[in-house]
Amino acid sequence: MTSPAKAEGSGPSIALDPELDTNPEPAKGPEKLEGRSPGQLMWQRFKRDRTGVICAVVVILYFVIALAAPLLTKLSGTNPYTLYGQDPTYADTPVLDDFGLPLGYFGGVSSTHWFGVEPNWGRDLFAMLMYGMRTSLFMALGVTVLVMATGVLIGLIGGYAGGRTDYWIGRVTDFFLSFPSQLFFIAFMPVVTAFFVDPREATPTYFRALAILIVLWVLGWMGMARLVRSTVLSLREREFVEAAKVSGASPWRIVRKEILPNVVSPILVQFTYQLPSTILTIAFLSFAGVGFVEPTPDWGRLFAAASKYAEQDPSFMFFPGTALVIFVLCFNLLGDSVRDAFDPKSGR
Amino acid sequence: MKSFNSRRARAIMVVVATGSLVLTGCSENKGGSTGKDSKKDQAEASQQSKAVVYADAAASTGPAAEVPGAKPGGTVEVYQEAGLSHLDPGQIYVSDGGQVANLLYRGLTNFSEDGKGGTSVVGDIATDSGKSSDGGKTWTYTLKDGVKDQNGNVITSADIRHTIERQYAAFIFDGPTYLQTWLSGPKYRDALKDGGFGSKHLPANVLDTPDPKTVVFHFDVPRPDLPQTLAMPGYSVVPAKTDTKAKYDKAPVSTGPYKIAEYKAGKAMKLVKNTNWDPKTDSVRHQYVDGWNFDFGVTESTQTSRLIADQGATKNAIQLTGSVESTQIQDVVGNAAVNKRTIKGYQPYVMSLNFNLDRVKNKAVREAVTYGVNSKSLIAGEGGVYGGDVAPNLFAPTLPGYEPTYDPYGRLKMPQGNIAKAKELLKDVPAAEKKLVFAYSNSEAGQKRKVAIEDALSKIGITVVAKEVDSASYYEQIGKLKNPYDIYISGWGQDWPSPATVVTPIYDGDQVADGAPNYSHINDPEVQKLIKKALTQEPTEAAATWREAHHYILEKVLPGAPLWYTKQLQLYGSNIGGARYSTESSYIDVTRLFLKS
Repeated sequence: MTSPAKAEGSGPSIALDPELDTNPEPAKGPEKLEGRSPGQLMWQRFKRDRTGVICAVVVILYFVIALAAPLLTKLSGTNPYTLYGQDPTYADTPVLDDFGLPLGYFGGVSSTHWFGVEPNWGRDLFAMLMYGMRTSLFMALGVTVLVMATGVLIGLIGGYAGGRTDYWIGRVTDFFLSFPSQLFFIAFMPVVTAFFVDPREATPTYFRALAILIVLWVLGWMGMARLVRSTVLSLREREFVEAAKVSGASPWRIVRKEILPNVVSPILVQFTYQLPSTILTIAFLSFAGVGFVEPTPDWGRLFAAASKYAEQDPSFMFFPGTALVIFVLCFNLLGDSVRDAFDPKSGR
Repeated sequence: MKSFNSRRARAIMVVVATGSLVLTGCSENKGGSTGKDSKKDQAEASQQSKAVVYADAAASTGPAAEVPGAKPGGTVEVYQEAGLSHLDPGQIYVSDGGQVANLLYRGLTNFSEDGKGGTSVVGDIATDSGKSSDGGKTWTYTLKDGVKDQNGNVITSADIRHTIERQYAAFIFDGPTYLQTWLSGPKYRDALKDGGFGSKHLPANVLDTPDPKTVVFHFDVPRPDLPQTLAMPGYSVVPAKTDTKAKYDKAPVSTGPYKIAEYKAGKAMKLVKNTNWDPKTDSVRHQYVDGWNFDFGVTESTQTSRLIADQGATKNAIQLTGSVESTQIQDVVGNAAVNKRTIKGYQPYVMSLNFNLDRVKNKAVREAVTYGVNSKSLIAGEGGVYGGDVAPNLFAPTLPGYEPTYDPYGRLKMPQGNIAKAKELLKDVPAAEKKLVFAYSNSEAGQKRKVAIEDALSKIGITVVAKEVDSASYYEQIGKLKNPYDIYISGWGQDWPSPATVVTPIYDGDQVADGAPNYSHINDPEVQKLIKKALTQEPTEAAATWREAHHYILEKVLPGAPLWYTKQLQLYGSNIGGARYSTESSYIDVTRLFLKS
């Protein structure tokens, strides 16, 4: 609803849709003319975007579900490690037929196994998915945030400093780019394990997580750095940067206040692509035998395993697959919405 | 015609796809029976494991008995996932090469099967399976007349001498070593460094060729298994004149019913009839089809899908050493029309959980683990009842002397493990001995095994420390004498149907060495005594000795817990005739195939 009082009082600096104003009170003189930060403007634009809000809720829900996995599996009374189809203690409630395929409807959906069971072993798919999401989401988030932060930092330095600094940073980036990261990981992991882990002790899971995190980080920041560098290069010569320079702002302030806000949209877009693809990279590493190993649940590996049973037991792929599709879709749409909110000119 | 890329078409596609997904997902799985009764199967399998008969000259004379309904003509398509590692007979030890060798090469002897489980050794280019004298220390072979290679050269005793001597050369490194070791000892390569290509040859008191038709082997101890050893594809004839040494691996000379017309390593191979092969000299092989087209790089799941569909050229297709993809077993067995086109049987492999006897010294722990392991969950990872069968003891159903009811640890009754008994055994064991380091190959299959072993052993109160080992070097790592692991899974199969090729390599204390297959490092004087005794006995007497050794090993020493027997399930096209399982190769018997139309 339009508030006439506000529309009247709006100066040119806040030529927004007045409806967006969070302050429902009527205008009270000149104080009302206070400016809003780009962040506040963005937030107001974002709230208007219904798709964006829905997607944000869904994405947050995913993270909450992942965090609350132990609570949820307590509700269902299952855990991701018990082989319900093979364990003699569960022999009176068979979940698999002689071929190792789930009994009953839709991959063995029942009151105990909400999403059915895994073929061959009869592990509970609901518990595996909840815990798998936990592993994959938080690993991917960690990797992506590290990669983004490093990429932005190096890109900013290279782009803004220019000259020799830029040249050397560029060559270092090239050097890292030439590493085939997944092959490197396959070669690197056994060596590191042999070096740090006692041959008669199991490799701890946190060790694997840390190794994945570090390698994907060290070998993953280059794309981001190049992207940021090129954006910064074009921004550096713009009038508002010149103006800031002339008015005596320090380079650090210029980078922080003038340039960084303008590279937010490519960063966000990149982030929304990077996170789902990192989930898949981690899944590939598990598949190649250097990432997480069975029985640590992993969303990506669950999906890969399901593809083998696509014909015989399609519902095994249905739940993890649907969850992944919804997540990736929402995450990308959310990214689009956030970008639009930051930079309405680039919108549809 | 309108392009299918319209929006409506896509919408229809989506609806159909989702619809079919929902339909398949929603139909209730009531758990149809697999029709498998493992006790009955194993009893039947034990019939296949009758002791091998050494056939006389009459049985070794060609031509081979006609296959009922056989017709000549046509080309068989052969699907295989990986390319052949070797074509040089001397280098052939693994099964894919062995299958191809059966079409291309002939040796002194060959296996002949009657399809009812009886296996005999017949003379192939020799007139019979061999005449032994001097208590089995001397073996004499006479060559048949009219055996020629693909170039029309007659095979003489000089070619046999050459075949054996070239195995001493450095460029032969992947083939079997039984015969060389028997003739010249473990360091046989030093006895004839240039592999007989120079002027030096094996002396007449080892290998004698008095005339072009006679070959005599002299051993220092009786070698009753020689006819079976010589039937291995690795000892097929390499004609001396046309040997190209290392290059022979790519372009070998054929002596069998087919010869290579075209070979692109790792991609394709075409075989055509070898006109110089005379059916009258061969009592086993047939030459019904005109040729064979080998197609390498077809994955097992593609092979299975194509053969289930059975369209076009696939009607004439077989799987060489591939088997039905484990996830697709139900589609094959559940469909009667497809199930008719399968070949089933036990493979010679027994998978067992080896104990490193240098580390797991407490027999109570070994017994507890043997009682505690869950064979069923391990088999589930291998494709269920059609992928494997619970193993009650260490002899495979294909081995003469197999006892289906010999079950000292009650595995047949409780395949999921006897947890109570295992816990009882572990009651007085100190905690330090209850921690076992389990090495597994870091592949998909290996990780499945890890889950099953961890799950079963943690239930009986053992702390399992699982260590992944790079899958390519798994056997190398567990083969090291000073390996840091306590338990590891390995499989072993016979080289020919005799317990000598099982007990000797994996349970003989003399063979404990880096890289040797005695993975549990068992070194027991009683076992060695029995092995020495059995090796010099005739097959029938030896059977009793092997049985004694088997019982002693499993009950008194327990170097490994038997887990499962591997099984074979292969599929072939509807136009293939004469298909049957070969107990000896554990794959489809390629010597007798024909096309129905």
